[in-house]
Amino acid sequence: MTTDSQGRSTFTGGVHPPDSKHLTEDKAIAPGPPVKELAIFLSQHIGAPCQASVAKAAMVEAGQPIGECQGFVCAPVHAPIAGKVKEIALQSHPVLGRSPAVTIVAEEEVQPAAPSFQRPDAFDPKTYNREQICDAAREAGLVGMGGAGFPTSVKIHHDAKPAKHTLLVNACECEPYITCDYRLMLEWTDQVITGIELAQRACGASKVFIGIEDNKPKAIETMTAAIQKLGLGGAMNVVRLETKYPQGGERQLINAVMGEHVPTGGIPPMIGVVVLNVATAAALAEAVINNQPLTHRVVTVTGEAIANPGNYYVAIGTPVQTLIDFCGGVTTKSAKVVMGGPMMGQAIADLNTPITKTSGAITVLTKEQIGQAKFERRQTACIRCGRCLEVCPENLNPTSIAHAVKSNLLDVAERHFIGACIECGCCSYVCPANIELTGYIKTGKIFLARQRKQMPA
Amino acid sequence: MLKDISVSFAPHISKPLSTRRVMIDVAIGLTPAILAAGIFFRVYALLLIGVCVAWCVVTEWLCNAIRKKPNSLGDYSAVVTGIILALALPPGLPLWAAAIGASVSIVIGKMVFGGLGANVFNPAMVGRAFLTASFGVLMTTWAVPATINDAMPAMSQDDITDTRTQATPLAWSKIAIKQQAEAETLSGRQFLSTITGEVGGCMGETSTLAILLGAAYLLWRRTINFHIPLAVLSSALLFGGIAYLIDSDAYVQPFFHLTSGALLFGAFFIATDPVTAPLTRRGMWLFGIGVGAITMVIRVLGEYPEGFMYAVLLMNAVTPLIDRLCKRIPAGGKPNA
Repeated sequence: MTTDSQGRSTFTGGVHPPDSKHLTEDKAIAPGPPVKELAIFLSQHIGAPCQASVAKAAMVEAGQPIGECQGFVCAPVHAPIAGKVKEIALQSHPVLGRSPAVTIVAEEEVQPAAPSFQRPDAFDPKTYNREQICDAAREAGLVGMGGAGFPTSVKIHHDAKPAKHTLLVNACECEPYITCDYRLMLEWTDQVITGIELAQRACGASKVFIGIEDNKPKAIETMTAAIQKLGLGGAMNVVRLETKYPQGGERQLINAVMGEHVPTGGIPPMIGVVVLNVATAAALAEAVINNQPLTHRVVTVTGEAIANPGNYYVAIGTPVQTLIDFCGGVTTKSAKVVMGGPMMGQAIADLNTPITKTSGAITVLTKEQIGQAKFERRQTACIRCGRCLEVCPENLNPTSIAHAVKSNLLDVAERHFIGACIECGCCSYVCPANIELTGYIKTGKIFLARQRKQMPA
Repeated sequence: MLKDISVSFAPHISKPLSTRRVMIDVAIGLTPAILAAGIFFRVYALLLIGVCVAWCVVTEWLCNAIRKKPNSLGDYSAVVTGIILALALPPGLPLWAAAIGASVSIVIGKMVFGGLGANVFNPAMVGRAFLTASFGVLMTTWAVPATINDAMPAMSQDDITDTRTQATPLAWSKIAIKQQAEAETLSGRQFLSTITGEVGGCMGETSTLAILLGAAYLLWRRTINFHIPLAVLSSALLFGGIAYLIDSDAYVQPFFHLTSGALLFGAFFIATDPVTAPLTRRGMWLFGIGVGAITMVIRVLGEYPEGFMYAVLLMNAVTPLIDRLCKRIPAGGKPNA
């Protein structure tokens, strides 16, 4: 374990952006906007997209599967509300551009009700079969809700080699502004812990660590107290982490907590570790115990340009515009709407883009903040100051990679290990010459994928 | 209703830091050395600095105007080059020579390569090397500090120009090497003066205290990191120490080497120029060790009393090779592809 002078675990590199969590950290999770029309993407995860299992004009029930799995690494999607299928058409997707989605129209507006999860008395995860938990996660369409969207049933499956020895719960929430996981830990503590127990049971890990950054002392306190109260003190450990971006990147989290590096190009299961986001754990508890599919999630609507920022329990498929209007709208004329946090989130141009299973936040930045960011300031020449090398959590050479991509020398970029970049954005954040290093690196990766014919031009 | 939605790559926020801010920090870090030059060499020193800065700025503006490139003065790098060049010049240098040096720094040192970020050699050192090659006598004529120091006798007095000149501490140590004697007495007498700066030498390089003060600011602001200065100074100390152990009569003690000449000033302000130094940590160490070693080889074995400028220029030339040699390996190891 790597610890700093104050006994907090951490990793090498990283940056300290202002966390801006004060906007929403004290806002309790409230029911989200009433919705009449939802667009549910058939691809909200890593892996094969779903196949629509309902036809146009069909009537669907709330919780009914509307997209079927098309492979092992896949997660089905469900209807959050009852209604009629209006169309199956392309919609603006935050990552994939235009992607097929099922649009459901309800008879009248439905307001999402806060879930009523009750931890069963004398709950024992051993009463559940391992396969049973995996199946429930698969049927409920669970994916990693921290952002990547890897199907949970695949991740927690116990069969894969090597055997899983550690379950790491990612409660860092290192992105500025976002507070949805923080509120989950404070308000739905029992549900989160139940989910963690179930995940541990499913993957067979002997050790469980919950990594929380030290700018959330209340969460550390609440989780520790709840674990003690439930008598899980020996099995589950809360780890206090330095507040530093990207502490919640799974490779960085594993390094901070366990002192190990996930091999470049590899994934955590290769070293016997499962990393699970807090929200995913909470959804797993609902899926296994209440048999409830993943149709709603907590979304932080925040940013200096939002009139009433807050944390809301939102139906998946809700358009961003509806959510922004529900929060009092935007206070300035020109702004930037980001799905996710400001470091890794995607700026969207179409405000009808629906919320997906992996959208933890809508961050609306003001014009002044945009002016401070790279693209409106003039990009100047690289002075080779090496700040991007210092902050790179993966020990790469961002400036050499970015300049190789800029000159279209993809082989040079590969020699500098472009594939090992996790796209955290630290290099762009810190660059005094305003160079969009992360942007160049992402572009280079796409070019390389096209060269290998993995991606259509 | 939202209008003018902007879209771009993540991240959408950035650190309030710019190249201009970095250059301003370097200029602030140089301020103690400028003040020391003003104290010891009076108004003429400040005039010399002003001329260098002005000519650097004018030359860069002209270069951009001729090549029809956007004005690049906003990054303030020309100002920093001017200050560093001036501080590395002898205090009695005629103003016209300084102006020539400043222009060469910018044109040959920076603009022919394509401007800031593309230059191979440290611009100020290119200008200084040009002056040394062209005006050898002017570049080795050292005015006596205005705060008259009894321990530093004037070698000659020119009644016409009313300037008194003297040998620098390093020149004394060179004499000791030639005579194979008296190194201890010579250096012992001057060691304290090299700390305050009351000795002959290049304007900004004489006062150890002023340099350390400025360097502390740069380190605190994280404008520079400690790797290159530490590597330069420790390698110079090592090689100076070896010479001292071999013959303490002929070679001055190693700490004397650190406090006199350009070594300390250069270690913090010249060798750390990011554009011409390696990117990686290991590269920085190699670069710094090379600069220190070459400086000491010239000082101890060479004909010149001082060799820092040549050491930096030589190591600048091999910086691309060092960067190739010291590639960064990802935290998760090399991929198995």
